[in-house]
Amino acid sequence: MATATAMRPSSDLSRAQTRVGYLFILPTSVLYLTFVLAPVVVTAVLAFTHFDPLRGSSWVGFDNFTRFFTDRRSLQIFWNTLRFAFFAVTFNVSVGLILALALNRVMPGWLLYFFRLAFFLPVIIAAAFVAIVWSYFYGDDLGVINFYLRLIGLPGVHWLTDSANAMTSILIMDVWKNTGFFMVIFIAALQGVPKNILEAAVMDGTPAWRRFFRITLPWISPVVFFCIVYCSIGALQVYESIVILTQGGPGDATRSLSILIVEQGFGSYEIGYAAAISVSMTVLILIITGVQQFLSRTLVQQ
Amino acid sequence: MFKLSRRSFVLSGAALAASTSFTGAFAQSDAAATLQLAGFGGEAEATAIGHAIERFNKKYPNVKVELQMDPISTGWGDYVTKVLGQFNAGGPADIYGTAIETFQAFASRNLFLPLDAYVKANPEFSDFAPSLLDQSKYGGKQIYIPIGWNNIMINYNRDLFDKAGVAYPKDGNWTWNEFREVAQKLTVKDGSGTVSQYGYEVPNQNFFIQPWLFTNGSSGALNADWTGSNMLDPKVAESLQFLHDLIHVDGSSPIPGSGAPMDNQFFAGQVAMISRGHWIVQGAKTNGVNMDIANVPNKASPDTVIGFGGYAVSKTSAHPDLAQALITELTSSATQVEEGVGGGGVPGRKSAAEDPAFAQFPPSAGLYYASLPHTKAVPSPANFQEVEKIFIRYYTAMMADEVAIAEGCKQAHDELEASFARLRAAS
Repeated sequence: MATATAMRPSSDLSRAQTRVGYLFILPTSVLYLTFVLAPVVVTAVLAFTHFDPLRGSSWVGFDNFTRFFTDRRSLQIFWNTLRFAFFAVTFNVSVGLILALALNRVMPGWLLYFFRLAFFLPVIIAAAFVAIVWSYFYGDDLGVINFYLRLIGLPGVHWLTDSANAMTSILIMDVWKNTGFFMVIFIAALQGVPKNILEAAVMDGTPAWRRFFRITLPWISPVVFFCIVYCSIGALQVYESIVILTQGGPGDATRSLSILIVEQGFGSYEIGYAAAISVSMTVLILIITGVQQFLSRTLVQQ
Repeated sequence: MFKLSRRSFVLSGAALAASTSFTGAFAQSDAAATLQLAGFGGEAEATAIGHAIERFNKKYPNVKVELQMDPISTGWGDYVTKVLGQFNAGGPADIYGTAIETFQAFASRNLFLPLDAYVKANPEFSDFAPSLLDQSKYGGKQIYIPIGWNNIMINYNRDLFDKAGVAYPKDGNWTWNEFREVAQKLTVKDGSGTVSQYGYEVPNQNFFIQPWLFTNGSSGALNADWTGSNMLDPKVAESLQFLHDLIHVDGSSPIPGSGAPMDNQFFAGQVAMISRGHWIVQGAKTNGVNMDIANVPNKASPDTVIGFGGYAVSKTSAHPDLAQALITELTSSATQVEEGVGGGGVPGRKSAAEDPAFAQFPPSAGLYYASLPHTKAVPSPANFQEVEKIFIRYYTAMMADEVAIAEGCKQAHDELEASFARLRAAS
C-alpha cells in the first residue's frame, strides 16, 4: 500500500501548491545563500590560497593552516582566546546567576526595578565606549582604581601594562559589561520554577543550598546550558574591548584570534592566512559547542 | 550683525585672491565630465576640499566632482584594502588622496599616473619644500602631489615649566640629557610616590617613536631603503633603553601602551611634554593650554620624522587632464591655508605656512617649517601595516619590562625579516 501511495501521480493542485511553496521560500533562500552560505564557502576556499586583491589568488594547499599551527605567536594567541573564553563564560554565567538569585525574592517593586536596571545598564552601553571609560579606571598612576587603592594604603597595580594582570583586567570589564544580560535571562527562568515544589521543600525543612541544587538548578539547567553556549561563542570572538584597552599587548599577552584575523587580513593583506585562522576558529567553536551539547545530555534536565 | 573675525578675513582674502586670479587668468572651459575624488580627513578637510571644488567649478562649470571622504578611523590598512578593492572591481576614483604610509603599497602596484610633466608645467609647485616633492616619488617618478604634513615635535605646557622654574628650551633646541633632566623636574609625586603630573609621555605609536631612533643617528626600525630590519643596530637598542629608563629609572613617564594616547592628560596639565604633530594645536587652543613647541632632543642627529598626505591620479582615469586641473586647486595656497588653520597639519606650501592665520599659535610655530630640512619620512614600505604592528608589539613589551630590550630587538628583527621575505615572495 505504501508503494502504491508513493507512486500515485500528483494532482495539478498538489503541483501548484508545491510551486507556490518554493516561491515563498525563494527570497529567504536567496538571502541565506548570498549573505551566509556564500561568504562561508568563499572563506573556506580562500583559506587554501594566497590572495592578493589585485593579482588574484594562487592555491597553496594547507600552507596557511601549517603556518597557523606551527607559529609560536599564533599558538599563544590561540591559548589566550581559550583562556579568556573559559573564564569569561565561568564568571559571566555564575555572577549572572548569583545576581538573579539575589533579585528573585520579595522586595518593593521600585527597588527590584532599580537593581535590575543597575545591573543591566552596562549591557546596553557600546563596548567601545565602556572600554574607553575603563581605560581611565585602569591607568597606572592617574587611574581611578589605583587612586583608591593607594588611599587605603595598598600599592598600585599595573592593570593593563603587566602581562600577569592585563587579561584579568579585561575579564573584569567583560563580566561587568555582560553579566547583566545573563542575569535577566536567569530571572525569567527562575520565575518559571514551580513555587509549590519549593514551598513543599521549605515545609520539609530542606536547607536553601539543597533546594537550589536539587530543585532550582535542575529546573533551569536548559537555560544555563543556553547561556554557556551563547557566552562561549561571544567570548571566543572577543575583539573591541581588547583592542581599546590594550591593543592586544603588552606584547601578545591579550591578543585574541579575532584581533589576529583583522590584523592579518586588513593590516598585512594576508587574506588567505586570515581566512585559515577564521576557519580554524569556526571549527574550534563547533568543537566546543559539540562538547557542551554532549555533556548537556547527562547534565541538563530534559 | 555680521562680524568678521581675523581668521575669516584672512581666509576670505585668500579665497578671493585665488578666485580672482583664476577668473582673470583663465577663461571658462566647456569640458564636460564627472570626476570621482576620494579624499580623507575630518570636517576641516571636507570643508576645505568643498571650497576647492567650488573654485574649480568656476573654471570648469560642466565638470561634476563627486567627493567621497574617508575619516581613516580604522587606520591606513583598511583604506589600502578599500582602494585595492575599488581597482579590483573596476570602479576606482579619478583622484585619490592618501598618506605616505600607503605610498609604496599603491605605487608598487602601479595604480597611479606619473605626474612629472604636470609638475614641470606648473612652476608654482616650487612653493613646496623640495623634500616633500622628493619624498612623493616612487621609482624616480613623481606619483603624488603633497598636501599638508606633520612632523613630530615636543609640545610642552609653558605654565607647568613656569611653575617648576624650568627654562624653556633655548631656540627650541636641547639634547637628550637636557630633556631627561627637564622631564624629571616636571614630574610631580606626592608623599606616597604617586605621580600626579608626568614630565613626559613616552609615546605608544609608531609615528611618535621614530624621532627617538632618528636622533640617535639610526635609520629607525628598518634599514635606510626600507627593505629589511634594522632592529639589531645597537643605536636602536640604545634609544629604546633611553625611553625605558625615562619610565622605569626616572619615573618621568607612565608605561606606554595602556589604552588611548595621553592627549587629554596633556590638555588637563597632567603631562607636561608630549610628542605630537601640529594636529594637537587645535586641542590645545580649545582647552586653553598655554603650549609651545620645541625640536626633538638631539643626540647624534637633529632629524625628526615627517608624515604627509598627497594626491594621485588613477591610471584608469578617463580624464587625467581634468584630474590634474582639480589637483591644482586642491593643492592651492587658499586650500592649504584653510586646511592648516582647521587643524589638518602644516601646509606644504611655504607661503601658506607663513600665513599669519596659521603662524600665530603656538608662539614658536615657525619651528615647524624651519625643522623641515631635518626630517625623514616615516619608514613606509609596501608592507607598512604589518611592519608597524610588529614593531609596536615588541616596543610595548620592552617598555613594559615584559621582555629585555636586547631580546625584544632580536625577536622583532626575526619577525620583520620574515615579513619582508613574504613581501619579496609575493612581488
